[in-house]
Amino acid sequence: MRILLAEDDFASRKFMDKQLSRYGECDVMVDGEEAVDAFLMALEDDEPYDLVCLDVMMPVMDGYQVLKAIRDIEAQRGIPRSKGVKVIMTTALNDERNVKMAFELGCEAYAGKPIDVEKFEKVLSKLGLI
Amino acid sequence: MAEEVKNEEMEELLEEEDSQKGKFMTFQTGKEFFGISISYVNEIIAMQPIAAIPEVDDYIKGLINLRGKIIPVIDVRVRFKMEPSEYTDRTCIIVIDVNSTMIGLIVEKIAEVDTIADDSIVPPPSLGRKEHEHNKYVYGLARTGDAVKLLLDPEKLIRQDEIEAVMEDIRKED
Amino acid sequence: MAEEFNTESMLDMFLYESGQLLEKLEGIILEKQDADCFDDSDINEIFRVMHTIKGSSGVLMYENITKVTHKLEDVFYYLRESHPDDVPHMELVEKVLAVSDFVTGELDKLKNGDTPDGDEHQLVQDLDEFLGRLKGEIKKQGIQMPQANKHEEPKQFYITPVAGDDSHFYRISIHYRSDTQMSNIRAYSATYALKEVAEDLLYTPDDILSNEASGDVILAEGFHMLLQTKSSKEEVIALIDSSEAEEINFDELTKGEYGKALAEFGREDAITIDLGEEQKPEEKDKKKDKPQPGDYVVKTKEAGKGKTLAKNQPKQQSIISVNVEKMDALMDLIGELVIAEAVVLQNPDLKVPGLELSNFQKASGQLSKITTELQEVIMSMRMMPLTNVFQKMKRIVFDVSRKLDKDIELEVIGENTEVDKNIIEHITDPLMHLVRNSVDHGIEENAEDRTTLGKPAKGKITLEAKNEGGKVYISVKDDGKGLNKEKLYQKAMDKGLIDNKLISEFTDKEIFRFITLPGFSTKEEVTEYSGRGVGMDVVVKNIQSIGGRLDIESVEFEGSEMTLIIPLTLAIINGIVVQVGNSPFVIETASIKEFVRVGEDSLIHEPSGEEYIVLRGECYPFIRLNERYDLADSISNVEEGIVVVLEHEGSQVCVLIDKLLQEQEIVVKPIPPYVKKVKGLSGCTQLGDGSIALILDIAGLLIQDGERR
Repeated sequence: MRILLAEDDFASRKFMDKQLSRYGECDVMVDGEEAVDAFLMALEDDEPYDLVCLDVMMPVMDGYQVLKAIRDIEAQRGIPRSKGVKVIMTTALNDERNVKMAFELGCEAYAGKPIDVEKFEKVLSKLGLI
Repeated sequence: MAEEVKNEEMEELLEEEDSQKGKFMTFQTGKEFFGISISYVNEIIAMQPIAAIPEVDDYIKGLINLRGKIIPVIDVRVRFKMEPSEYTDRTCIIVIDVNSTMIGLIVEKIAEVDTIADDSIVPPPSLGRKEHEHNKYVYGLARTGDAVKLLLDPEKLIRQDEIEAVMEDIRKED
Repeated sequence: MAEEFNTESMLDMFLYESGQLLEKLEGIILEKQDADCFDDSDINEIFRVMHTIKGSSGVLMYENITKVTHKLEDVFYYLRESHPDDVPHMELVEKVLAVSDFVTGELDKLKNGDTPDGDEHQLVQDLDEFLGRLKGEIKKQGIQMPQANKHEEPKQFYITPVAGDDSHFYRISIHYRSDTQMSNIRAYSATYALKEVAEDLLYTPDDILSNEASGDVILAEGFHMLLQTKSSKEEVIALIDSSEAEEINFDELTKGEYGKALAEFGREDAITIDLGEEQKPEEKDKKKDKPQPGDYVVKTKEAGKGKTLAKNQPKQQSIISVNVEKMDALMDLIGELVIAEAVVLQNPDLKVPGLELSNFQKASGQLSKITTELQEVIMSMRMMPLTNVFQKMKRIVFDVSRKLDKDIELEVIGENTEVDKNIIEHITDPLMHLVRNSVDHGIEENAEDRTTLGKPAKGKITLEAKNEGGKVYISVKDDGKGLNKEKLYQKAMDKGLIDNKLISEFTDKEIFRFITLPGFSTKEEVTEYSGRGVGMDVVVKNIQSIGGRLDIESVEFEGSEMTLIIPLTLAIINGIVVQVGNSPFVIETASIKEFVRVGEDSLIHEPSGEEYIVLRGECYPFIRLNERYDLADSISNVEEGIVVVLEHEGSQVCVLIDKLLQEQEIVVKPIPPYVKKVKGLSGCTQLGDGSIALILDIAGLLIQDGERR
């Protein structure tokens, strides 16, 4: 599967890249805007991503903005919600309000850092990705 | 603002939580003496201006302002379907708290605080129809000294559907 | 209990909410353990508790909790739908308690930072067996078997971070010998070594690589680090190169101290994490109250510097969390202050002739200004626009309509209407239900069904909020099917929810209200979005809990309108105090169009006894307040009294009063609920002299007037 990872922190990026590469090809971006660009480009090329992992605190656009942009782009292109890309937020912002907001914005999962790898994998399988 | 009568006395009483049991605030309305368990009584205040509310049952006299708290007051006489009487300087308002609802009871005259032992309380006898409505709020009779006191259940006293139901009964019976 | 959480993390919320629900559950069980059976409201309540815990544990992926609560929900689903007789009550009580104990045990494990690993198999098996018998009983009693309880798998998941509780927090300060060369590079090596084990690492000075001068700072002030790690103190010390160090200070911190230290280090994102939901932060900028996309944009990193957020987040020191109860107490006190102010400024002692009051007037003017500002501040602290709530509704309409393949446009009116914060929290869920219902049940399945009725193919839902007469009206209106009274009646009868009465004995509104009864769901086939009747009853319950109500209007084939009418619990309005007879009344200044004196010849007397007033050629309904409310000693001749022209939503009404007293700020207090609602009155207030005035509700007067005519 095709994975897009947006994460500006070097250590986390390294870690996530290593984890995710076990499941498929992983493109790594370092800020929010790049992530949106990459997502769009993949759509244009008709090779959409299956999974997007977003950090929240990032330069240019934060993870929530990226998530919103992705859902808006999908809506605009008439991609039904069920066929949309699966998005997992990966962040240390674990308070309930942030999590709820992300759910409302339409992410599939919200993973608190440090990430519980076992559960992360379980979610991937529940989402039908692996 | 409100002149507080016997307030100190009341507070002393309320402080002694344990000794509340079996104590009743008694008052006179018409010829009869009534009692309310002291545990319901918050304070006793002098009669004060009442803001009437339109379109409510006649026994609800209106609202009073108790140190910024607005509470409804009901006239016990009218509640018992007696002829209303003029308010005098002996008329008092007993402020009771029933399940967090604060309500003032207008009574003609405060009598005293009586200690009534549980075993001297007898259920009200089934009297004629005339007493029918009284029985709804009177849960027991107690003899102290030479007087018989009717012990009131404040929850029933203030409940509105209760009296409506009673009125309904009476209408049907008539 | 909630106060103990300073960070209301997702997990904390789950633990708190589930804990509350279980307490409630046990309350019901223990109260009813000796009864013969649970009554309908208990069954509903238990069903709801299980449903909620099942849902949230599903999101957090505590599967054993989900499975157990799922099973018990099933049991109560059948009890609720089929009402079988002879349910072994004692056994059922035991089963519920067993589930409650199991979940409580698992929650305790979570609280202690352990994995909830309890084995649910036996319990699930027991419940299955019980359910099997229950179904058998239902069949035996010849009750129709309800369709199977449908469970929704959660679609969104929350992955709890690996137990952060076994992380250690350290503050490490290294002081190098004064002759150390390139201390900045040494310092960087230390950070580099720690990165291996660090979950979080912050240091100051933070520009050690890019700024050579930082070496001098390090020599002078030392190099300070904050470290979050799983490693022990010994392991960390071993990683730090101490060769040139004169002194290394090593403090272990608690999580709270660490948070504070982060703020001292100037990392601003520490704040957002520290704002707990329960202790509501009250910022000046109310919108910031809720996180928004874009709050967490990180400024492009300057080489070697730590992250800073681009959006200027308030510094931790400038925000304190305040308990809502204290806010409410403050609000009440300010209300009292306004009244006390009136008592002073309108004191009869001041009316003694010949008093020199100019200094007093000056001082009192200042006092009034301050109290007015004080009120504005406290109100603004509590008021929030509905924008965010409405945003959510847009999302729901969007999602659900696409899912159901319906073409729907949403019109939003008045989203800037501000309401009290408490109210926002209480209306979000009910509103969500109403909107879903409109999309799902309101708008027709097929566009053809609409076009044949002459309606546009595209469905329309209107979401509107307005603030009127001390009440907030939020309505959800659709132009869909509308409610079919016959069907509602039949359904309610079939379900045994209403008394055995003929349909003609119910008014339209009463029939519409059937949909708010527990266990009522009009759809034969239960859909994902509107659930199976755990809906409207909850809506009504939530709204009632804040003293509001739900109004339902519907015309079949034309559409339905559901309106939430919520009182503003405590507000301060500008009002004019008037007198009728011996009673003062308050009229909100905003609804007064004008005061006029009219002659007897402006009156029109209808044979029915109704009266009208003609003003400048316009004819207005006329209400004599003294007659309406039976007030003695009042003026009945229009020429002596004053006529007030009141306006509400474009309708006007004229009211006769005796005289005007004064204009002042009015603290609206509710009429004690013990007193039955009087139409045309919205509340009461305390005047300067301590007396009580009733506040006229113009909308109520108009409605009442309309009904009478």
